[in-house]
Amino acid sequence: MPDDKKAELIVSRQVLSIPQRFATGPIMGRFLAELLDNRRIMAVRAPGSRCLLPPREVDAVTMQEAVEWVEVGPEGTIRDFDVVYYASPDPLTGETRDVPYIICWVDLDGAGEGAPLWHLLDAPDPGKVRCGMRVRAVFNDERCGCMEDIRHFEIIEET
Amino acid sequence: MKRKRRNVAVIGSGMSHFSSHREEVNQPEMIHEAVVEALDDAGMTLDEVDCVLHGNMELFEMVHQPDMWHAIASGVWGKSGLRLTTGGTTGITLACAADNLVASGLHDVVLAIGFEKLQEGHTTGGITNMADPLWGRSIQTGALTGTTAQAVIDEFGEERAKHAAMKMRIIMDEHAMLNEKAHRRLGLDRQFIKEMADNSPPLVGELRMLHMCSQSDGACAVVFASEEKAEALGAAPAWVVDHETVHREETLMFSPEKTTMRVAAERMFTRNGITDPRRDIDVFEMYDPSAWWGLDWLREFLLLEGDEHLKMVENDEIRIDGAFPLNPSGGVQASNPIGATALVRVAEAAMQVRGVAGGHQVPKPVRRALASGFGGTLWTVLMLLSREKPVLGGHCDA
Repeated sequence: MPDDKKAELIVSRQVLSIPQRFATGPIMGRFLAELLDNRRIMAVRAPGSRCLLPPREVDAVTMQEAVEWVEVGPEGTIRDFDVVYYASPDPLTGETRDVPYIICWVDLDGAGEGAPLWHLLDAPDPGKVRCGMRVRAVFNDERCGCMEDIRHFEIIEET
Repeated sequence: MKRKRRNVAVIGSGMSHFSSHREEVNQPEMIHEAVVEALDDAGMTLDEVDCVLHGNMELFEMVHQPDMWHAIASGVWGKSGLRLTTGGTTGITLACAADNLVASGLHDVVLAIGFEKLQEGHTTGGITNMADPLWGRSIQTGALTGTTAQAVIDEFGEERAKHAAMKMRIIMDEHAMLNEKAHRRLGLDRQFIKEMADNSPPLVGELRMLHMCSQSDGACAVVFASEEKAEALGAAPAWVVDHETVHREETLMFSPEKTTMRVAAERMFTRNGITDPRRDIDVFEMYDPSAWWGLDWLREFLLLEGDEHLKMVENDEIRIDGAFPLNPSGGVQASNPIGATALVRVAEAAMQVRGVAGGHQVPKPVRRALASGFGGTLWTVLMLLSREKPVLGGHCDA
């Protein structure tokens, strides 16, 4: 087909905006309630097993029910991080994020090394972030019972 | 995989042209291009197809039950059909399902169709919404991550790692230049490896624009047939020897266990007597979403240690005319219509075995070809194809 014909074809433009409402269940529900009410980060574990964070009903490796609650953090150590330069839209707001921003995986104190929490890291200079740095969770004053109740992690300055 | 009851062969495949914009055709029209080519290649008409499998990832185009819309183009109207969607692995899951349906005796001829029209949605938005809705959506950055790049840099040093990743990217582009259907055929020049590694715009960490796969529109269709049917048609078949799927529970990347790539390869090679994959497999079509992942996973899939995988890139062993050709089609870095992508790996591997890959046919004889799929939380699916007909009941799970 010649190019001038292509240009005549109509493209149907549509935008979907879908309000959603997810049940969180008793495990994730308690985790979120602890963020909301107590600014606490709670993990679960099966007796004698690793921590699961975010918490899940069952440890998929041992196939045991994760019945023990453990308070972890709010401080921890950076396991790994990504400096994001690509301006992707936040799917929850539709707004394009400012770049660069940093996402990190944090081994929270008390959670062991099998359950790094995935979150945002606020650091003034992304070029100076290193694995092994100590960080702490910063909570929002106004919370809603969601992961974003932790606004981000921040680096603990060495004294 | 347990013992097969019947042998299954790939006897034809077809692909639409891959491009960032296929706005001159709608979804069913684009799929029809692949279906017609696959049936022509197999030397059959739609009348001989018993069952049509259809797959993609719905969050990209946000169309519910697209197989219904596509029924007139896919050929499923009035036939048996299934719709499958397993994320990035969708295409090769379609191939596994087609193999199972024919091997079991349920159907003699199964047509598997994978497609995506990424232009009609938002790729990174779609992948981001695939994250766990209770905790992951605000943090996920689509399929983009620089952690593998950093790990390779940490292990082998910045200069060598960045050189190897960009060399891998250039080899993939050299292959894409041989494949008229490939989406991105950039003509990258080897003498500017360092400049490209340093100056391509960064996406995440050391993952740069050039390293990352494309967002493509395209469709792929593959015809799977029983041994009786394949031999009656007199086709040059590629026999499906085995397939393996390895999932993992972890939603994140850290785990003391082996990668799903290594586990899948170990299982498949053990079952099929492959002791030296670089010798026993003649070509590999890997689902390589970025040059960094492709580089790193070469070590995992081939069960290598140390820096063997870097050497394979550095000494051009993975080139189409090398000792172990990787992605003679140009791979996923060149073309990535996601729901079709993993089926394209199977189709390309089969074309190499059948000797019908045209401009990107591997020059050495191809007896065995491997295809991989990738998706979800680092899942792996592998399929092994051969020129020689497998011996029935030849293997079973240990």
